[in-house]
Amino acid sequence: MAKYFRLPKAALFSVVLFLLLIAFVISITHGQFPISLSEILAIVTGGEVKDITARVFFQLRLPRTIMALMAGIGLGMAGNIYQTIFKNPLASPDIIGVSPGATLGAAVSIVLLGSATLTMATGAFIGGIMVVMFVLFLVRLSPSHTMTTYVLAGIVMGSIARAFIMILKFFADPASELAAIEFWTMGSLASITASKVLTIAPLFGLSLLGVILLRRQIDLLALSEDEARMLGVRLTQVRLFVLGLTTLMVASIISITGLIGFIGLVSPHIARMMHQRNNFTTTILSGLIGAIIILIADTLARSLLQSEIPISILTSLIGVPVLVYYMFRQKELRS
Amino acid sequence: MKPLFQIENMSVAYGKKSVIRGADLAIYPGETCALLGLNGSGKTTLLRAACGLIASDGKTQVGEVSLDGLTDRQRAKYLSYIPQMTALVRGKSVFEIVLMGANPHLHLLESPGPTFHQAAREALARLQLTDLREQEFDTLSQGQKQLVVLARSIVQDTPVMLMDEPDSALDFRNRHLVLGVITRLIREQQRAGLITMHDPNFAMAYCDRLLLLKHGDIIGQIEMNRDSHPLIQEKLSQIYGPIELIRHRDSYFMLQRT
Repeated sequence: MAKYFRLPKAALFSVVLFLLLIAFVISITHGQFPISLSEILAIVTGGEVKDITARVFFQLRLPRTIMALMAGIGLGMAGNIYQTIFKNPLASPDIIGVSPGATLGAAVSIVLLGSATLTMATGAFIGGIMVVMFVLFLVRLSPSHTMTTYVLAGIVMGSIARAFIMILKFFADPASELAAIEFWTMGSLASITASKVLTIAPLFGLSLLGVILLRRQIDLLALSEDEARMLGVRLTQVRLFVLGLTTLMVASIISITGLIGFIGLVSPHIARMMHQRNNFTTTILSGLIGAIIILIADTLARSLLQSEIPISILTSLIGVPVLVYYMFRQKELRS
Repeated sequence: MKPLFQIENMSVAYGKKSVIRGADLAIYPGETCALLGLNGSGKTTLLRAACGLIASDGKTQVGEVSLDGLTDRQRAKYLSYIPQMTALVRGKSVFEIVLMGANPHLHLLESPGPTFHQAAREALARLQLTDLREQEFDTLSQGQKQLVVLARSIVQDTPVMLMDEPDSALDFRNRHLVLGVITRLIREQQRAGLITMHDPNFAMAYCDRLLLLKHGDIIGQIEMNRDSHPLIQEKLSQIYGPIELIRHRDSYFMLQRT
């Protein structure tokens, strides 16, 4: 990270929080059923509004916007943590197996139990957590507990999960089941309801709190293993905790949204470019930036066409230019 | 005087291959010892075993406290470590790196308070690094990085400092600078220092005692203030073969005999 003009932390947060507020307001007011700010004000203050407006607001729009906010924060923060502890700027939830695990879980539910959203969400959550547990178990069995072992175990379990997904796809009914699996991997906030958000909120909150409490240890994991151990870091336990918490965070989100691509990869890069540091402030910034991107992407997903567009299409379309810009800027910095 | 750091009968094996055999050493307060030996003699292995980073047989003791069976966290209160080269740590400021030295003294979830912030500021001031405080660690030169890691060791505040060729990636001037700062600190604060080194000339210039390692055995030691010129030459030649030792003022220089 080069010495470019660097905004003070307070100014940086002011800018990002302001953008987040704008994205939040746009998200909560726009959609197939527009709700104006004055109507929202009336709903909140107990004023008079149409019954349907209040219902749409409480049952669909507010949960959906809050879910977009949570998803962005969770995926953005988790992405930055993965990139820090795996010392790899391309690390994402894929690396530890949570995404392929969740996809497998969702696919199993779709093929065996049908594509009711609740069973799919439960299946995805269990799948994501189970594959990561197998990864950690594999690491425990191995004589070496270096970060490379985690990456290798993640690749092994991810590949096994993908193989099973392919088997399920092969036997799935192309018209309904196969389509449902594919649709799940593209992510969508269309089926978010208040009860779903409330179901995952405690898990999300717990993992967020845990990550915040462990922030200093996460910073220490950026050092080499020898240095971290000689500074008294309980490597195995801390890694297990941090990976467990981030997995819980990611799994709780994607279990009800489906896979949302690029956020975990792109948000940390934008946060690092803006902050020109990589510490817990960057992790929080990464979460807030993730939230801005998802809020915008989700608003577009439900407004651009008559039918909903899967959100990963839009997050990728927003994410790719940012990544390309980063790629060129890196070259420029080196020269 | 009682030794501050002691290793008794330490052995290390990689599989069936024995790398260190029954090493004994004792380092006294204020003393810096160099571990000298050719490539493959077991210097780094002995140091890593002393750190507790690899499994070994034998006893390690700091003062009256046995380190055997202690966890990494408990051991980090007694031993600090300076690696040959610090890992690539993107995006951390110098101050953040120095403050990491507080970790062994904090609970898992605790943040360093004003005392440790003050200690970090003092450590940076002591090594004349205050101006670099907010600079990104990765943008520093190797010499500056080693000094920052040394400042982290000062904050860690351990009685024993273990260093794995801390000068090997440095240029001539920075080697003198870093080794000078390390040995002065150890002397002034009555700590015990163990450094693995490649270059006997730097070891003779800065260390109080040289431990000579050959094929995994400590075959002898040189006390720089006590041993005579011919004795030092004889002992060094046991490791380095035919050499010539030249004395200039108070310093020795080793040359290969042709």
